[in-house]
Order: sequence, then C-alpha cells, then structure tokens
Amino acid sequence: MLDIRGLSKRFGYGKGEVTALHEVSFSIAEGEFFTLLGPSGCGKTTLLRLIAGFISPSGGSLVLDGKDIAAMPPNRRPVNTVFQSYALFPHMTVGENVAFALEAQGRPRSEIDPAVDKMLSLVQLLHLKNRKSSELSGGQQQRVALARALVAKPRILLLDEPLSALDMKLRKDMQIELKRLQRETGLTFIFVTHDQEEALTMSDRIAVMSGGRVQQIATPRELYDSPANRFVAGFIGESNFLAAKAANGAVEVGQGRMALEGAADGPLTLMIRPEHVMLAGNAPDALELEATVDQLVFFGTDTHVHLGLADGAKLVARVQNALHGTRNLNEGERIRIALPAKALRIVNDEEIAA
Amino acid sequence: MANRSFDVRKLPGAAAIAITCFVILYIPMAILVFYSFNAGKVIGNWEGASLKWYGAAIHNQAFLDAALNSLILATTASVISTLLATMAALATTRNERFRGEGVIHIILNQPLMVPEIVLAIALVIIVGQIKQVTGYTGLGFLIAAHTAFCIPFAYLPIRARLEGMDLSLETAAADLYASRFYTFRRVTLPLLSPGILSGFMLAFVISLDDLVISDFLKSPGQDTLPTYLMGELKRNLTSEIYAISSLLLLLSVLIVAGSWVATRKKD
Repeated sequence: MLDIRGLSKRFGYGKGEVTALHEVSFSIAEGEFFTLLGPSGCGKTTLLRLIAGFISPSGGSLVLDGKDIAAMPPNRRPVNTVFQSYALFPHMTVGENVAFALEAQGRPRSEIDPAVDKMLSLVQLLHLKNRKSSELSGGQQQRVALARALVAKPRILLLDEPLSALDMKLRKDMQIELKRLQRETGLTFIFVTHDQEEALTMSDRIAVMSGGRVQQIATPRELYDSPANRFVAGFIGESNFLAAKAANGAVEVGQGRMALEGAADGPLTLMIRPEHVMLAGNAPDALELEATVDQLVFFGTDTHVHLGLADGAKLVARVQNALHGTRNLNEGERIRIALPAKALRIVNDEEIAA
Repeated sequence: MANRSFDVRKLPGAAAIAITCFVILYIPMAILVFYSFNAGKVIGNWEGASLKWYGAAIHNQAFLDAALNSLILATTASVISTLLATMAALATTRNERFRGEGVIHIILNQPLMVPEIVLAIALVIIVGQIKQVTGYTGLGFLIAAHTAFCIPFAYLPIRARLEGMDLSLETAAADLYASRFYTFRRVTLPLLSPGILSGFMLAFVISLDDLVISDFLKSPGQDTLPTYLMGELKRNLTSEIYAISSLLLLLSVLIVAGSWVATRKKD
C-alpha cells in the first residue's frame, strides 16, 4: 500500500551537508502496525516527516496506493500525524481541535458534528468536549491528539514518539489503548520510537534503523531471535557477544568447541541472549565453557549472573528464580556453562553502511 | 507562580529607591492634572477648583483640529505600520532563512537607532521639494513618515510573539488538510493577535506622541496635538494647556489599560 523506493534526504549543502537518510526502500501493508525503531539521529523521524510531507526528499519516491506523493504538500496527503508534543491548538476546545481536519476539508456541519462525537467517544473523552485543550492532563491531551488525527480517516496514521512524554504507568495503558484503536479502526499505523520494548509489544513489523539506513525489517519475534547484525542484536533486548573462530564446520571459543553449520572459516562473532545461557555442563548440542561467577544481581523475577571466561570475555546469564534459583551459586565459584547451539547466532559485526 | 528564591523587596533600601522613582515619575503628572482643575488662568496660581479650562478646550477650534489631525494620523499610521510589521515578522520567522535577512532586520529597526532629529532633517529636505513640485500639503507626508518610524515598534512585539509560538502548531494544521491561508486564519492569526494588538497600541501611542518629525514636516496651518501644545507653550501659557495635557494623558492611560485587558483575555 505504501512503497518507499530509494528515498533519501540530505540537509545543508557543501561541506555542511549531512545525509539523514540513505536510499531507504521497503513496503508497508494495509492495516499494518509498522514501527520505525532506532536511537536518536538514526533517521526515523526524518523518514516520518518525509511520509507526512513536512520535508521533501532529496531523491527516491513515495508511492501510496499507486500514486507518487513525494511532491505533494502535507495538506493534500491522506496521512495524519500524532506529534510528540501533541501540538493541540491551545486557543480551541477539545471539540474544535478534533473538528479541525474536517472543517479544513470543507465538510458540512451535519457531517462534522457526529464524526467528532464518535471520535471523542472512541477515545473516551466525549465529556471533555468543551474544555480548552490546555486544561487537560498529559494522557488526555494524547488522546485528543489521536482523535484529531483519526477523525478524517487517513490512509496512514503517523505517530512520532507519542508516548515519550507520559509516565511509565500511563505509557503502558496507552500502548494497549493504541493497539486497540488500531485494531478497531483497521488503519495502517507508522509508529516512531526509540524504546525497543514499546516497539516489541505493539508492532506487527519493525524496521530497525541506524545511521540513516534500515538495518533489518522483521516481526518482533524474528528480530529478537535472529538479529541481522551486531547493532540490531545490541539494540533489541540484551545480548552476549563472543569472539569465536570457525574451522572445518565447527566453532571454537577458548577451550570450547562445537559443530555449527553455516560458519565460514575465520574469526566471527557469536551472539546469545542471557536467558539461553545454561549454568550446567553436559548439555547435548551445546558449546561448553568454564566460567567464574563474578557477581549475582537479584531482579525479583530473575537473577542476573555475571560470568567471566578464561580469556577475559564477559557473559551474563539470566536465571528465572521460580524455576531454578541461584541459591547454590556463590560469587567467585568456578562453574561449567553451556551455550545451546539452537540459541547461538552468528552475527555480522558490521552494521549496514555505505 | 513558581517560588522565587530571591525576594527583591527584602533588599535593604529597595522600598526607598522604588518610592523615590515613583515620586519623580508621577508627582509632576499629578501636579499637572491637579492644576488642570484650576479656576485661575495663570499657571501655578491656585484660585479654586473648576472645570472651566476643560470647557474652554472643548470649544477651542484650533485644539480640536489638532486633536482630529493627531487621531487620523495615529490611526492611519499605526494600522499601516502594524500590517507591514506583521508581514515582515511572518517573513523573518516563518520562512527558511534567506540571504540578507540580517540586513532586513537592521533596516526595519533603524528608526530605533537613528536620532529622530537626523531623520526629521533628512525628510524635511525631500518633503519640501515634493511639496513645491506637487503643491500637495495634506496629511499624507506625516502619515508616510509616521508609518515608517512606527514599523519597528509594531514589529518587535509581533516578532517576539511569533518566536514564542510553537511551530509544530502550524505544521499540525498543514497535516490536517489546512491550506496555508486557512492555517494563517485559524491558527497563526488567533494566536498572534495579542502581539498584533500590543504592536498596534505601541505604534499608536508613539505616533500620537511624536513632536520632532511632525513639527519639521507639517505644512503651514497644520498642527498635531504635540505641535499645537508646543506652540501654545511658547505663546500663552494658560491652565488650558494643563487641561489638554490631562486629556492626552487620560487617552494614553486608556490605551495602555485597553491593551492590557485585551492581552490578558487572549492568554
């Protein structure tokens, strides 16, 4: 439905030129909850602003329903935005804010009034219709901003870090609320965030961005289980990285050795999530290593076991307290650990660049 | 109100300094207003309370002509300069920076820096020539000159307001299908109006008060309130001048109060 083809954006010119987006290409499907995830400066907000039309691309095309909209001004695009600062009109009431898009389109009053009421009920704010937007709490403003952006039934709703100004508890509630709204309206959402947890819990698919490039596009599960490179692995969830050497279909880490398919001969980096590190030897199909327990950190539901390997490398294992517990472990103790082959990933050290 | 850690009222001597300043500023005005109710003709010689000089002023055709001129002049000049200043402020805050923007800033604000007498002398030479050639001696010259030096006074509060406004509001309007004009009418203008109003009031008062340029540029027989008062002051110093000055003071106070009320309401 939305095809982004070779889209790029450069700011400034001459020596001061900065490329914020390097020829990004991907497609977003109808009704998808699509997230652009990355650290600040990765180009996610630039991409969002390009889709909204607030800035024009330096190259590439933006095809919505078969039409290139790259040169179209924002007020002609069937795309609406929920801004990070909400940007509610402070001189208007809640109802007037929500009515704005329909009024700007010149729709008749008989159509506007019921649409506004319906939208306000959807975000459970009908009772505040005549309040000034400046008199609302952060969470309420957030919902007005949503209603205002949804009322004209855009083809795509863009959300620019809309939850970042809310406190933790409200944020969790709004995550569920957003997902519910998206299901009920069946709309395509493009959500920008730097919060990986937010991205994982809400999205159908996530594009992880860094340095103005898309590093990987996948479902939350695929991203977590099979990150494309070290950047993605490090950005999503917690990861352990181990320097290894491959030779003759096997990998070696220190004294440990294990058969692993698909490993090209030479040095490589292995990745394993902390919850897959087993604090016991003699596991089948696993890389067995000797380690020292450096530190035990209690987290309530689980305990993080910080481990040191013989060659100085560090690993963290996460143990669920309800299942195993770590009562029989002591700091300074030498133990054997096992890294199961099915949980080990060979990751590319290089992120996608030039 | 946020807690200020520093209370100026507790500084030693603060009260004394404040009171001295207020006395120096306002005692002369209080005396002026007081003597405007004097029944006697000679200034400073109290002969009992009376409204007679106000009555005399209202029936003084020369004063009424000067007052009318001043009102026409101040209204026209402040309306035009506010319009121009609004456009200039929008151009310098809402567009991408353009080459020469700094120069435009300086040119807009130069009437604040250049001594008024210099501007008056420069204008009187040109205006004198134009008067000779065209034979036109109406208020037009004064309106043009007042508009010019009122622009920076209108420009500064409008620009300050625009700079304080959240740019994302206009972006949001554009996102919500509003054309540029619709955005201006529904979002920019309503939010800007307190700034426009205070710019207008300031320009109005500055124009109403101007003596130097008006005196240099006025045609024979033409007077504004300040030039009329100046002339009267030189010829015959009577309590009527006090009455007229008090009326002028009242008008200024009303304008300032009006602007304050209007700005408060908007916020």
